[in-house]
Amino acid sequence: MLGSSLVRSLFVIGVMLVVGFGWYPIGLARLKKNGVAEPAAKKQAKLAAKKYSIIAAFLYMVAMVSVAGLFV
Amino acid sequence: MKMMYGMLTALLPAAIWGVYAFGLAALINILAGVVSAVAAEAIFQTLTKQKITVKDGSAAVTGLLLGMAVSISTPWYAVSASAAFGIIAGKQLLGGVGKNLFNPAMFGRLFYLYVFPDSILPWLRPFDLTTSATPLEILRETGEAAGVPILDMFLGRIPGAIGEVSSLLLLIGFSYLVYRKFVRWRIPAAAFSVVLVLALIAGHNPLFYFFAGSLVLGACFMATDPMTSPRFPKGQIVFGIGIGLIIMGMRWWGWQTPGVYEFTEGTTFAVLTMNLFTPYLNRTFKPAPKK
Repeated sequence: MLGSSLVRSLFVIGVMLVVGFGWYPIGLARLKKNGVAEPAAKKQAKLAAKKYSIIAAFLYMVAMVSVAGLFV
Repeated sequence: MKMMYGMLTALLPAAIWGVYAFGLAALINILAGVVSAVAAEAIFQTLTKQKITVKDGSAAVTGLLLGMAVSISTPWYAVSASAAFGIIAGKQLLGGVGKNLFNPAMFGRLFYLYVFPDSILPWLRPFDLTTSATPLEILRETGEAAGVPILDMFLGRIPGAIGEVSSLLLLIGFSYLVYRKFVRWRIPAAAFSVVLVLALIAGHNPLFYFFAGSLVLGACFMATDPMTSPRFPKGQIVFGIGIGLIIMGMRWWGWQTPGVYEFTEGTTFAVLTMNLFTPYLNRTFKPAPKK
């Protein structure tokens, strides 16, 4: 039980990391393209990346809960 | 800060009832939730060199809500891990109180449902602690909102989560919050109205739907979180309507994994889904400036 719970936790954290780190350069490039200064762009992109990673975790967990039978 | 301590006060009667009805295991789960949430916030803020804000009581409220929203069958470490996740991922990552997108207690509860699905069941009856179907499980099996005395549901003599079973004590706590003007009452009012209308359309007793599951705890204490619910009255009504619709949809047709577990309650999904729309509702229903 604990083993599968640990695996599931790592998957959630993995999804958050992939989306967060994946979005950061995209968001930063977009903001720079729109003329936002570098320090402000970095701050905004970081915040957006965190926000999207949390939304991704939510969507991932909802999707997985709906097919929870696959993991039990 | 006053509001958070008001929330703790309002939740206390239902939590005490849970401990009285379910015994020591209930106390352990509640304490696991509170201690982990407070510790996770303090540790995260220390590591990220932020001001430690655990004294504002918001982490304790998150932990208490989570501890109250699980069964006594749930091991304490599951509550503990979920509370820590709710605080860190649901609140601290975006900058703490006021900047979070999701209600941290609900986010922690979703984590709990996903990560520890085999510890959700069985639901136990208060006092004798025998395994029993919840009113919503009976509804799912029979298609009828009956079979459980409404008075038992109202007073908390039904199987369910530690702090969810006593609607009476939760409503007393909520009345206190309304009296102190600590909560956005339009949200639960709209959610309960939707549940009432849909139950009447289905020809069922609305009281069954009011007092079964986590509607009272979710709509009155979690959906009204001032950080993650709409600021303006019309937005709050739409938010509440959305919650009511999703909860009833989940109760009637919720996700099912035959032979494993059926999600007969949808409060977690309802509140978190509507949390996503809060920024949009704030923009859409922002009152026009007075001329």
